[in-house]
Amino acid sequence: MSVESTSSTDAATTGTRLAGRTAIVTGAGQGVGEGIALRLAAEGANVVVAARRAETGEPVAEAIRARGGSGVCIETDVSSRESVQACVAHTFERFGGLQIMVHNAFHGGIPHKLEDADLDRHWNAMSRTGVWAVLHTGQAALPHLRAANGRGRFIILTSPSGVEGSANIPLYSPVKAAERAIAKSLAREWGPTGVTVNCIGPVAASPALVAAFERTPTLQGAIEARTPLGRVGDPESDIGSVALFLASDDSAFVTGQTIICDGGSFLGL
Amino acid sequence: MVIEGTGVLADALRIAAVEVECATTVVVADVVTTATPFETLTDEDFDAAWEQPMRHAISAFQRAHRAGHARLIAVVPTIGMSGAPNLAHAAATAEAIRVMVKSAARQWGADGMTVNCIALAPELFGIDPAAVGDVSLAPPALAGRTTVVDDVVPLVRMVASADAHHLTGATLTADGGVWMTA
Repeated sequence: MSVESTSSTDAATTGTRLAGRTAIVTGAGQGVGEGIALRLAAEGANVVVAARRAETGEPVAEAIRARGGSGVCIETDVSSRESVQACVAHTFERFGGLQIMVHNAFHGGIPHKLEDADLDRHWNAMSRTGVWAVLHTGQAALPHLRAANGRGRFIILTSPSGVEGSANIPLYSPVKAAERAIAKSLAREWGPTGVTVNCIGPVAASPALVAAFERTPTLQGAIEARTPLGRVGDPESDIGSVALFLASDDSAFVTGQTIICDGGSFLGL
Repeated sequence: MVIEGTGVLADALRIAAVEVECATTVVVADVVTTATPFETLTDEDFDAAWEQPMRHAISAFQRAHRAGHARLIAVVPTIGMSGAPNLAHAAATAEAIRVMVKSAARQWGADGMTVNCIALAPELFGIDPAAVGDVSLAPPALAGRTTVVDDVVPLVRMVASADAHHLTGATLTADGGVWMTA
């Protein structure tokens, strides 16, 4: 049985929960990042679509504007400290503040055997766009998040694999685990300044997952069969809504946590 | 038994000269011990705390597999599970190695290798417990400190025994009953 998700049209209904706030969403040119960007913008946030290539980021920013929201694209390479700093500086210059940093961008994740893993091919990109990028985005955003008077939010996209390991992409798991450990540490370190740090572990119909479905026709059915809610998540209405909660005042007393948003497939926390 | 790692705990295990039943590699996490606010970490700091220790750990795991060892045991501080202020860079490495154990256990079980993790109190790695701070509202369940000879060595010996043949992907926490989440 497959239960329909709330449609993207419903999710696009405008609200004001983030009115006057500014968010950067990395990797927002597609998939989960795009869904989060659209959802935050629909609640009134100025959203910076931080994408590696303007060809993917600009259409998302345009979609935000077409819905009546405030969105701009800034080309950003999250593996580069300088590029992330420039993105944050441009954001501040444009909007006068930054209250929400969402690090979602990720590159890599090629299936491999651990014994044969080559660090250049199977590790570098994941380490740089995952863990190093948490360093870059967190450091660049922190002064602004601290200035947000208790509304500073650092949200990191991780994975259930960061808890339970992975038989298919074994080096993906330590990268995602490291992100969770950093989030817990920063929750304790930054809590006194009123900045919260949380993770989302999504399973959603991102382009990567859709491509995997096309490569392996039985995969979607297998995932849905083991998922209590019987479907794969929608990037905007399912994952974006959890990001909205973490970005909003509703989550003011939540920090250091990981919300697994996968329809109940993983129950290990 | 092969011991991989360069810190004080790895040295202590070498000195202990643990005798085990199964061919075993022990990978002791090379975690940095200096508390540094996240906002002041340089790329050089992060390379030393995250990138290089992870590369060493991955290579050590691969060497253990190539050697055909029946047991791979990673030893990490509990800060990866609890988080630690001003030690995010060390916590990242500890937790990454702990979860890499699970990936390795899933892949290498078919090769006859078990892969497990022992999580220990941070002070055994040279990390100041005061820097880590309290991670539970409850006091430690057991009095006294975890020691290498009395506590860690017997645990390694047990995991490296034939009796532990069906134990894999597990984390055994030996910190006197501080961190109890699983």
